[in-house]
Amino acid sequence: MIFDIAARSLASGSVLIPGEQLIGACAGSRMPAVDPKLLTAAIAQRVVEACPTSALQLEQSGERLTLNYGECIGCGRCLETGAGVFFAAEKLMCCGVPKPALIRRWDIETRTELVAEQTAMAANGEEIAKLLGRALNIRQVDAGSCNGCEAEIVALNNPYYDLERFNIHFVASPKHADMLLVTGPVTRNLAEALRHTYEATPSPKLVVAVGACGCTGGIFAGGNAVAGAVDAIIPVDAYIPGCPPTPAMLLTGILQALRCRR
Amino acid sequence: MMTAIAAGARFTSVRDVLAFLRHDNVRLVSIFGSHDEAGALRVHYMLELDGREYRMVGLPVDGPIPSATPVTPAAAWYERELYETYGVEIDGHPNLQPLLSHAGEYHFLQVEGNGVCEVPVGPVHAGIIEPGHFRFSVVGDTVLNLELRHFYTHKGTEKLFEGAPVMSAPMLAESVSGDNCFAHAVAYCQAVENAGGVSVPPRGRALRLVGLELERMLAHVADLGALCGDVAFAVPAAYTARIKELLLQASTRYFGTRCWRGLAVPGGMKRDLGAEQARELSHVVSDAARDFAQLARLVLDTPSMQNRFESTGILSRDHARALGVVGPAARASGLKMDVRHDHPYGAYRKLTLELPHYHQGDVMARARIRIDETAISARLIGETLSALPAGAISTPVTCPAAAEGFSAVESPRGELLYWVRIQDGGIRRCHIKSPSFQNWPALPLAMPGNIIADFPVINKSFNLSYSGCDR
Repeated sequence: MIFDIAARSLASGSVLIPGEQLIGACAGSRMPAVDPKLLTAAIAQRVVEACPTSALQLEQSGERLTLNYGECIGCGRCLETGAGVFFAAEKLMCCGVPKPALIRRWDIETRTELVAEQTAMAANGEEIAKLLGRALNIRQVDAGSCNGCEAEIVALNNPYYDLERFNIHFVASPKHADMLLVTGPVTRNLAEALRHTYEATPSPKLVVAVGACGCTGGIFAGGNAVAGAVDAIIPVDAYIPGCPPTPAMLLTGILQALRCRR
Repeated sequence: MMTAIAAGARFTSVRDVLAFLRHDNVRLVSIFGSHDEAGALRVHYMLELDGREYRMVGLPVDGPIPSATPVTPAAAWYERELYETYGVEIDGHPNLQPLLSHAGEYHFLQVEGNGVCEVPVGPVHAGIIEPGHFRFSVVGDTVLNLELRHFYTHKGTEKLFEGAPVMSAPMLAESVSGDNCFAHAVAYCQAVENAGGVSVPPRGRALRLVGLELERMLAHVADLGALCGDVAFAVPAAYTARIKELLLQASTRYFGTRCWRGLAVPGGMKRDLGAEQARELSHVVSDAARDFAQLARLVLDTPSMQNRFESTGILSRDHARALGVVGPAARASGLKMDVRHDHPYGAYRKLTLELPHYHQGDVMARARIRIDETAISARLIGETLSALPAGAISTPVTCPAAAEGFSAVESPRGELLYWVRIQDGGIRRCHIKSPSFQNWPALPLAMPGNIIADFPVINKSFNLSYSGCDR
């Protein structure tokens, strides 16, 4: 029996995806991208009206279009109503970034992207990298998610992504953790347990909010049984958008949160 | 299925329903409350007759109603929820402590005797899994009693449906239980189609079948891997994760989404599949199924796995029946039931479906069901993709001003049912009967006499969704 298994292992070969192919990739996430050169006021108006989560908004009396990836659930309505201008993103770098960096802005008249000021990364990310020599222990906390994010976080350990090659491990207790990877929305019933988990994690620690619901409450924002996004309950250092984020987005986010991009 | 919803002609009171429920050939499917157009309270009983006909009974309620739980324990959680959310007084219910709200104090059953200890587990667990609380009463390693306290992920989802536009509410359904998102979306869409008398074009129905069966394969493959992981058999655990990822990547290639989100819409599907793509997807699926079958044989033939899986966590047929257990767990305890077979919908109407079933009710039986069903799902996908009907994938839906509809789907975890009331183009009320809500109360009955160290593998063999249950 053991020989069958060994033979299988040898015959099948490696399916590992090189790290550099994963950083910034987001295929299959349904996140939108915009070609600003084709953007018009009419299209901007249409996609804003079609967006069910107010991820897309008009600012400055309609002169600017903003897209908050933290609110986007990838429903694809902007891809339908703004076909040609909006398309499925292949790359998304705003994973593992501070909250303001989740938002992108375009000036409609000049058809250019307004690049937001570079926001400083969380200082204690560097602290952990320095302290731990890039080894990182993560405690995942489901604070009320639909389990879509959990399924993708579990996939990080499969032979394609193999998170452990980056010296990142999932641990069983917050007491062993450097980072909390928290999915949401945080329900009223779990808010207290999340606070306890945060307190049980030794400092210095990083908190990363995962998924549209973790970042902003997503489609559950304002629900009567929901306490809010993760940062309504505990301090959050970095955000990973997506509904759910793909394993590549999660990996990008975890590494960017540490500023140890390879 | 889709028989006309009986308006309650034969049932004038809750007592009539309870009398009906006493019959052996009647199964309780769900109980829930709603307010009708005039704002009057109604209690709905969803029943199944002879394993082939759904019967919906909606009764106006004014004052206390007699409990169905003494007649069929399957009613216990539904009535607790009804009491908590609609304030309906229920006479004769053994335990009406709140399920959804954790605001007040909660009393666990106290097991008394020499050497009895309580072991609390959760809500935050050790693995990458959902939150819930388990309270074990043990003597040494042996479990005497297990009590669940769930609903930590209760998000008020049914409430959020209220007022949602009919056409965009699938995104809410997809987030009831993320790992079965397509089954939830299809069940919701079919309920709307049932309410509006909409017929999905054959190609749309076929593509839905492909998605539903692919989702079942993903779930079952991952479940076997997780079972192996729980007993420290790492190689099959890694292989199943690899097979699952392969299927997710194929979904990305051909449908642009790993998890089949955003594809189902009332009236059909949003995205078509080209002939070449269909052939390629068919190859990926059959290769995955062949790989998985070999791996599964390896697992089943390993003596240490047999030792851990056999006679562990037995759920008896009687208990499964009494609690209205559905899905793979029911089929592993000798109950031959499957919505695809008993109430065929969409493209399943044209199929003859074999139903694997076992009588042992142990972890091994639940593992075998998943192995058998993965092969069947792969075959169904292959057959469907090789003969995709031509034509449109969806039909325009004109939303009725006021209507009710329901639909059941066999999700990977079992019977999943959506009931919707539509008013003025929006959802007025949506009730979700999730298989996890139905099956969770059965898990404690599979535990007594087992050692606490076997709990993870027993729990995994049921693989219930917390979010699907808690909503």
